Amino acid sequence: MADRFSTPRGGTTPHTPRTDSVGLSRRGFLSSTALAAGAYGVLAGCASETSGPQAKNAGNAPKEVFTSPAKKLGGSLSILMWSHFVPRHDKWFDKFVADWGKKVGVDVRVDHINTVDVPRRAASEIQAGRGHDLIQHIAPFSQYEPSVLDLSDLVQEANRRWGQQLELCRKSSYNPNTRRFYCYCPGWSPDPGDFRKSMWADVGMPNGPTTWDDLLRGAAEIKKRTGVPCGIGLSPETDSNMAARALLWSFGGAVQDENEKVVLNSDATVAAVEYMARLFKDAETSEVFSWTPASNNQALIAGKSSYILNSISAWRTAMGTNRKIGDDIFFVPALRGPKAALAAQHVIQQWIVPKYAGNADAAKEFLLHYTANFPAVTFHSELYDLPGWPSLVPQLHGWLDNDPWGAKPANKLSLLKTATSWSANIGYPGPSNPAIGEIFNTNVLPTMFGRAARGQTSPRQAVAEAEGRANAIFKNWRSRGLVGG
Amino acid sequence: MTAGSGRPKAGLADRDGFLAWVMLLPSVVYIIALVGVPFLLAIAFAFSDVTTGDPSFDFVGFGNFAEVFDDGVFWRSLRNTLFFTLVSMVLIVVFGKILANILVADFHGKWFVRFLVLLPWTTPVALSTVSWLWFLDSIFSPVDWVLRNLGLIDANVVWLGRPGTAMASVIAVQVWRLTPLAAVIVMAGLVAIPRDINEAARIDGAGFWRRMFEVTIPLTLPVIAVAGLFGAIMTFTDMTVPYVLTRGGPTHATDVLASWAYFRGIEGGDVGQGAAIALFLFPLLFAGAIAILRAVRRLEAR
Repeated sequence: MADRFSTPRGGTTPHTPRTDSVGLSRRGFLSSTALAAGAYGVLAGCASETSGPQAKNAGNAPKEVFTSPAKKLGGSLSILMWSHFVPRHDKWFDKFVADWGKKVGVDVRVDHINTVDVPRRAASEIQAGRGHDLIQHIAPFSQYEPSVLDLSDLVQEANRRWGQQLELCRKSSYNPNTRRFYCYCPGWSPDPGDFRKSMWADVGMPNGPTTWDDLLRGAAEIKKRTGVPCGIGLSPETDSNMAARALLWSFGGAVQDENEKVVLNSDATVAAVEYMARLFKDAETSEVFSWTPASNNQALIAGKSSYILNSISAWRTAMGTNRKIGDDIFFVPALRGPKAALAAQHVIQQWIVPKYAGNADAAKEFLLHYTANFPAVTFHSELYDLPGWPSLVPQLHGWLDNDPWGAKPANKLSLLKTATSWSANIGYPGPSNPAIGEIFNTNVLPTMFGRAARGQTSPRQAVAEAEGRANAIFKNWRSRGLVGG
Repeated sequence: MTAGSGRPKAGLADRDGFLAWVMLLPSVVYIIALVGVPFLLAIAFAFSDVTTGDPSFDFVGFGNFAEVFDDGVFWRSLRNTLFFTLVSMVLIVVFGKILANILVADFHGKWFVRFLVLLPWTTPVALSTVSWLWFLDSIFSPVDWVLRNLGLIDANVVWLGRPGTAMASVIAVQVWRLTPLAAVIVMAGLVAIPRDINEAARIDGAGFWRRMFEVTIPLTLPVIAVAGLFGAIMTFTDMTVPYVLTRGGPTHATDVLASWAYFRGIEGGDVGQGAAIALFLFPLLFAGAIAILRAVRRLEAR
């Protein structure tokens, strides 16, 4: 099947985006329906932008490329995907995909829905055995493996064209037990620390914290002086889950090992939980227990939080709405703990092709076309989406050193040049399997940290409780043959 | 011409039994399709290993129930559900009765007050709960702003960030949402009380409270019971308010059976265990439905 992609019928040609758009009325309808039906989702975007910054020079946009498909395509292709946190991306994407459809003779339809609605929509389509040909989500989708096509051929072709895929993308899309690529992962977003420079300068750390100890000392001092707390979440939501993993890994703990055995109950995990209890007591308030995914962004922008763990979206939002605040937000890489300096990936692109898909060939060809144009993806997402095949975006380091969207200083994002070295997939050091997904989605780790921080139980007992839940979940998925160990 | 030949032949439309079935059929189809089938499906799922990603059905017996019962969060959710339901029901009935008394009184602008009172019930629950999410926001809460400016608090309460205030908030929003329904039901009972009974009691010297407890409440008790049971069932099965306000947090303090079933079944991907949790609602709901029907029958018998 890999051969299908290896003999393109035409060369690679520059391509200029058209200005017409696709499916706006459908999109509008879905947006309003989602608002009424899944109201939580309204707040769930990690600070979706309403008006973003403008590029310094529109001509900076990378030229798009087109490679003719290996075989003749036809029919229709329906895509279900999230509404990007950066609206500019969706505007570009809709034109991009419509243009591709016209070139290859495929009638393409794109439905953007709120990211929190994607899992339930995907679940209902998979259960019904009908729906979109291509579904994209931004968190691990490994539980769908029995009902989706193995995309090994697609990944092999991508590797052949663009070199080795990033390890964290591979681990977020490959099941070593079944040896199948249950999804295709062409991009991701890092999760650096975001801090208010003015606050940290006042406590002698103008460049922000570099270790978890720095965070405890600095954030506690800021809270003592100004009343502004630190914003590491302990709530049942995505960002708190990410933060929990960063802290856990940096102290040497993990939910599973490389072989997918549960190793959560360790001295390292207990130490991480003890640290979180201290951080909450000295530098935080109860508000971190009430947060939605948008709350930490709002708190940072409002000057009600000195430090959060998040993508660059909070800062981009501030750049568009209040430049002064945007210029006061800076970033640090993953904080160093006693054992490591690691952060979870913030967004991981997961494209699946359900077995019921009527036009799998077109879906796969589109994914190759999309990946080939990752420079445009990165650019139009305002450097939010980074490539899963790094060779695809040679301009990336230049953009990070000199932000095309007007960062002050221009190299504010240069720390992201090393992001792959301090970022890991959700299941680190193992793969992102369905058990890891259920532990993530049922908030086992924020609950573990939160119960100890609240004093509802001792750190050791909190870890033991979490281990019990993790073991039950792993046992359940292991019996289905989807998890090793 | 015979007598019989002048009478038109009775058609299907003249048969009461047939007409009754025709009228009932849409409701029966609706209930079977949207309640009966999903219910049977939920029972089947609860005894299966179905996941969101694997719809193939394999029978696993009571395995899902055993695993669910081993989970501490399930028991926490069950306790939360009972507490949430009981407290909400009592408050819904009390406030519903008070509101109904106000609504039956004669005063200027009554129609406008009735409109306002019904608003929480007519607004889609997801939208109104999102509004409450903002009202109770940890940083930008207008409720806290008012309390701060009145000098009642020094710092924000963080309603949704502490286990006690989070549960209180969830109950408050549920009561706010369902009280209008209870008020309308009780109001129907109040207007059905003959005026002369109240007047006779007044002439005999009974004051407001005596008439309330010895005339009005005894006469409207079946209706109040119906209002209470409706409130209880609608609270027992509700996950929207806890899900939107707290997503079950902090540390599962507001997780209820319905929300935990959703987290396990849809977000976690284990449809079988999610269905087993959801099915646990059934015996209590069944008892509630029987109680409602009996109360309604008693009302009809009067």
